Amino acid sequence: MKIFFYKSILVFVLSVLTIHFSFGLITKEIKIEYMNLISKDNLEHIKNKIRKELKNANKKEVLINSADAELLNNFLIKLKSELEKADNK
Amino acid sequence: MMNKTKNYQYIFLFFTYLVVVLSVLLTFKDFGIHIEEKFHRMNGLYWLNYISQIFNFDKLSLIAEIKMGEIQDYTLSSITDYKKYGVIFDLPLAFIEIVFNIEKIEKVYYIKHFLSFLIFLISSFFFYQLLIQRFNNFFVSLSGTILFITSPRIFGDSFFYKDVLFLSFFNIALYYLLKVSNNLNLKHIIFFSIFSAIAFNLRIFGVFLPITFFLILIFKSLKDKNIYNYLKFYFLYLFILICLIIFFSPYLWSSPLTNFLDIFVSLKRDLIDPDVRILFNNQFINNRNVPETYLLTWVSISTPITTLLLFSLGYFFYFQRFIKRFFNIKEKQIFFDLWRGQNEQKDFIIFFLLTSFYLTLLIFNSPFYNGWRLVYFLNIFIIYFTVYQINNFIILYRKNYLKKKIVLLFLLVSIIHNIVCLIVYHPYQSYYFSELINDNKKNSFEGDYYGIAGKHFFLKLSSDYKQKKIKVAVASHTPLHRSLEGISYNLRKNFEVVGQEYKNADFIYKNNIHEVNSNLNKKYNIPSNFVKIYQLNVNGVIIYEIFKNVK
Repeated sequence: MKIFFYKSILVFVLSVLTIHFSFGLITKEIKIEYMNLISKDNLEHIKNKIRKELKNANKKEVLINSADAELLNNFLIKLKSELEKADNK
Repeated sequence: MMNKTKNYQYIFLFFTYLVVVLSVLLTFKDFGIHIEEKFHRMNGLYWLNYISQIFNFDKLSLIAEIKMGEIQDYTLSSITDYKKYGVIFDLPLAFIEIVFNIEKIEKVYYIKHFLSFLIFLISSFFFYQLLIQRFNNFFVSLSGTILFITSPRIFGDSFFYKDVLFLSFFNIALYYLLKVSNNLNLKHIIFFSIFSAIAFNLRIFGVFLPITFFLILIFKSLKDKNIYNYLKFYFLYLFILICLIIFFSPYLWSSPLTNFLDIFVSLKRDLIDPDVRILFNNQFINNRNVPETYLLTWVSISTPITTLLLFSLGYFFYFQRFIKRFFNIKEKQIFFDLWRGQNEQKDFIIFFLLTSFYLTLLIFNSPFYNGWRLVYFLNIFIIYFTVYQINNFIILYRKNYLKKKIVLLFLLVSIIHNIVCLIVYHPYQSYYFSELINDNKKNSFEGDYYGIAGKHFFLKLSSDYKQKKIKVAVASHTPLHRSLEGISYNLRKNFEVVGQEYKNADFIYKNNIHEVNSNLNKKYNIPSNFVKIYQLNVNGVIIYEIFKNVK
């Protein structure tokens, strides 16, 4: 009875520790990464970064090169015409 | 002859305590006011008022109510949010404040500080008793007690009736747990119940005491098959414990079971904001998901090196012995069990408690803040294993005079080192760092969470600048205005704390307590029109800085 009792405790403790140091730790790491990503400070930081980039972009005279501008222009014209067709139907 | 030696020992012990008390009496007013004093005063007065109303002490109730009305603080949440906190210290102190008509608020706090230290000192005597009964060596036990008292962070916090108050009562409960494990009688059961209930009243960790007691009795019953007698005593203990837990907590009086469950529910609900960041090793981490190494790192860098070394050796020595005992257990032979004799049983209980506490904190991912202050009671086990190792060395070198003396000299050096640290850091022992880390690294960990340097800051500005009204902004997560209660009213009225409205401020106070990631969030950045004029540096730890508006 005594040895059975002690061995049961040992098995229990070792199982808990194994689960913690394998599955538990991986879950914790993922949780930490996720919490960092959605933290108020990080979201605010991302917003500020976007604001800063937009400000910088506004200062530039040319935002995109002429080849890209032509490509985008053609794409938008095509898109617009297809939308109008869908609307007329 | 034996009695004469014992008398000398007690005289020596008495004088040691006398020196400690006198030194503290001369210096305890140097400590500042911590940010939670107001909350504790409010807590005490609230429950005093509640009890006075029940027993129709109208005058007492009225005074308590008036005093509660005088406590104003926009950063202090409503009393209903935190009235579940233990009252074992706050309530008697509120009573003393009223009965002795103590008007000056700073005096109220100083009395609390001194009494808190006195409780810690009384508990250290129980620790001495615990050691002497285990090791039967006066010099080693006394040295262990001195190491216990002079552990810098613990000593510094012993005035603030928070974590060290729990440590003190837990320590006394532990003494009776060891007593009751050796000698199960009614007297020990009653004392053990009283101190377990007080420990539980202060911190939820107190729940480990009844659990450990139960397990010890199970282990013992496997040895001597006396389970019915043990269970009888255990249920008696539980009964007294439950009665006392209710008695010590007025919150439970109206509806014991519902409110008891509510304490656990609110524990989770009232936890600090989940998005709080704490500074750990130069990184702002979430306090709900601290790294696995958090506790070990903090204990290592804020425990004196000599203590840490002896503790590590002692713990691993015992662990090795435990493993040996475990794998040699025999079904029918009493001698082959987890422990042999009463002394080993004590070592086992201490080992069991320390290991189970540590693993529980790890597995349940306990939230921490500002170091390991929430678990300062672990220092009891740290010092125990330190003394255990010294005792091992003495036994090992009992026939080698020189080596034995070297061990004792090492112990003496540890004590002197602790005392020197207490002097160097005074009154900021709470922010002690060991020599394991360099000065630059010291400031990459959280500092003055309790804002105890606020008093020093206001006194410094008062003496350096004689202007009538000084506006102070705070570039840290510290309710600095609460520290104003640590200085006299005449000085207090010259200051106005304006929070983070830097543009209105003459000076900015800054310490390294931030609840946000300051690398990303710039709310605590010092504006360019302020220049640093002072920093309080204690042994490389920057306690706080002052910036002056130069525009």
